[in-house]
Amino acid sequence: MAPEATTAVAVPRPPLVGRLRSLLTLGIVAAVVVVSFRQTDFDLLALFTGAADFWKFFGRLVPPLSEVGTDWGKYLPQLAKPLIETLQIAYVGTFFGTLLAMPLIFLASATTALDPVSMWVARVLLTILRSIPDLLWAAILVPILVVGPLPGAVALSLFSIGVLAKLGSETVEAIDPGPVEALRAAGAGRLATIIYAVVPQVAATMVSYILYVFEINVRASVIIGYVGAGGIGFTLQNRLNFFDYTGVGLIIVVIFAVVLVIDGLSVWARSRLI
Amino acid sequence: MSRAATAYQVPPTPPHVRRGRVLAISLAVLSVVLLVVVLATMDLPTWQRVKAGLDRTMPPLWRGFTNPDPEVFPLAFRSMLQTLFMAVLGTLLGGLLAFGLSFLAARNLLGGTLQAGPGKALLVAIRTFPEILLAIIFVAAAGPGPTAGIMAMGIHSIGFLGKIFSDVIEGIDQGPMEAIRASGGNGLHVFLYAVVPQVLPEFASNVLYRFEINLRAATILGLVGAGGIGGPLIQRLQFRRWDEISMFLIVIVGFIVVVDFLSSTIRRRLV
Repeated sequence: MAPEATTAVAVPRPPLVGRLRSLLTLGIVAAVVVVSFRQTDFDLLALFTGAADFWKFFGRLVPPLSEVGTDWGKYLPQLAKPLIETLQIAYVGTFFGTLLAMPLIFLASATTALDPVSMWVARVLLTILRSIPDLLWAAILVPILVVGPLPGAVALSLFSIGVLAKLGSETVEAIDPGPVEALRAAGAGRLATIIYAVVPQVAATMVSYILYVFEINVRASVIIGYVGAGGIGFTLQNRLNFFDYTGVGLIIVVIFAVVLVIDGLSVWARSRLI
Repeated sequence: MSRAATAYQVPPTPPHVRRGRVLAISLAVLSVVLLVVVLATMDLPTWQRVKAGLDRTMPPLWRGFTNPDPEVFPLAFRSMLQTLFMAVLGTLLGGLLAFGLSFLAARNLLGGTLQAGPGKALLVAIRTFPEILLAIIFVAAAGPGPTAGIMAMGIHSIGFLGKIFSDVIEGIDQGPMEAIRASGGNGLHVFLYAVVPQVLPEFASNVLYRFEINLRAATILGLVGAGGIGGPLIQRLQFRRWDEISMFLIVIVGFIVVVDFLSSTIRRRLV
C-alpha cells in the first residue's frame, strides 16, 4: 500500500530544454548584475551603514515642530511666484507640443502617411525627440535660449511632440478602417478623410493622451529649473546651495503636493473621458 | 440634374455629434485664451535678447553638431555603459522591493479592498514623487555618485512595478491554487507552484519595460550629480563644447534605440 502511494504522487520533471533555457536566462541575468555592481561601485551595505547620516539629513529638512508654522508659513508665500512659473512652463510646453504633434501624428501613421519616405523621416525624428529626456533637452537649450522659463517651455514642447505623436500615430493605426475606406471610395480627399473618418475615432483618446503629457510636463517642470530653465526647481537649487535645509524641505513638500493634485485631477478627467 | 443634387445632400448632423463639436471648439478656444494669458504673464525675454543669444550660439552649435568629435566617443561609450549598469541595478532594486510590497497591495491575498488600501496609497505616493527630486535628495544626503542615482531609480520604480505586480496578482486564476491546496499542498507550495508560474511572465515583461524607462531616466541623473553619462555631459554643456556634446547625444540616442529594440523583442516573446 505505502510504496504504491509514493510512486503515484511522483512529480513529473519539466522538459530538459525548458530547464536549460531557464538556467541560461538566470545565468545571463546574474552575470549582468554582477558586472553592474562592479562597474558602478554600488555599495548595497552603505544603505545600512549610511542610514544614520541619512536620517539625520531628513531631520534637518524639517524645522523643530514648534517652529514649523512660523518658519514654513513665512517662506511659503515666496514660493508662489516660482510655482506659478512652473505651471506656466508646463502649460505652454503641452500646448505647443500638442499643436506641433498634430501634423506629425498623421505623417508618422501608416494609415494616413503621404508616402513611405516621409513616414520614416517623421518616425526617426520622433524617436530622437523621445530618446532625449526632457531635463536633458532643457540643459541643452539653456545655453542657446536665455536662462529662464523660455528654454524650459521649448524643452517640454519638444519632448511632448515625441511622446504625443508616437502615442497618437499608434492610435490612428489601430482605428476601424471601415470609415476611412468608405470615404476614400466616395472620392474624399486625404484631408476630408482625416477629418471625417480618423479624427472622430481618436479624439477622446487623444484628449486623454494630452492630459497624460501634461502630467509628465508638470513633473518635469518642477525640476528643470535645476539646470537653469525656470520654475521652482531653480529655487530648490538656490536653497540647496545656501544649505537652507528647512527651505529645501518645504519646497519638496510643495512639489509633492502640486504633482499629487495635478495627477489626481488628470487621472479623474481621463477616467471620465474613456 | 436637380434630382442628382438632392440625392447627394448631406444628412443633418445628429445632435450628439453637434454637442461634441461645440464642446471641442469651446475647449480649443478656452485653451488658446489661457495660452495668451499665460504668455502675457510669463517672464519671457525680449525677442532682441533671444535673437542676440541665437546669433551668438547658433554658428558654433551648427559647426559642432555637423562635426561630432570622434575623440570623446570612448568616454561617451564608457559613461553610457555605466549608465546602463545603473539602470540594471535600479530596476533590480525596485523590482525586489516592489515584489515584496505588491503582496501587501493585492486585494485577493489580503481579503479586501480596505486591507489593501494602505499598500495602494503608499504605491501612489512613491509613484508621484519625482525621481530626479529623489536623486537630488540622495546626492545631498549621501554625496554624489552612481549609488545615489541607483537608489533614486530603485525607490521610484517601486511605485510603478508595485502597482503592476499587485494588478497581476489580483488577476490570477484561483483554480491552480485550489487544486494544490486540495491535494494537500501548504502555503509555500501554493505560492511556488500556483502563484509564481502564473505571474512570472507578466512580472518579467514589466521589469524589462521599467528597465527601458530607467535607462532614459539614468541618462539625466548625472545632471544632478547622481552618476552616469549626465555628469560628463553637463560639464561639456557648461563649456559649450558642441562637437563633444553632439557625440554624447549620438551615443545616448543610439544606446536607447538599440536597448528599446532588444527589450521589446524579448517582451513580445514573454507574454
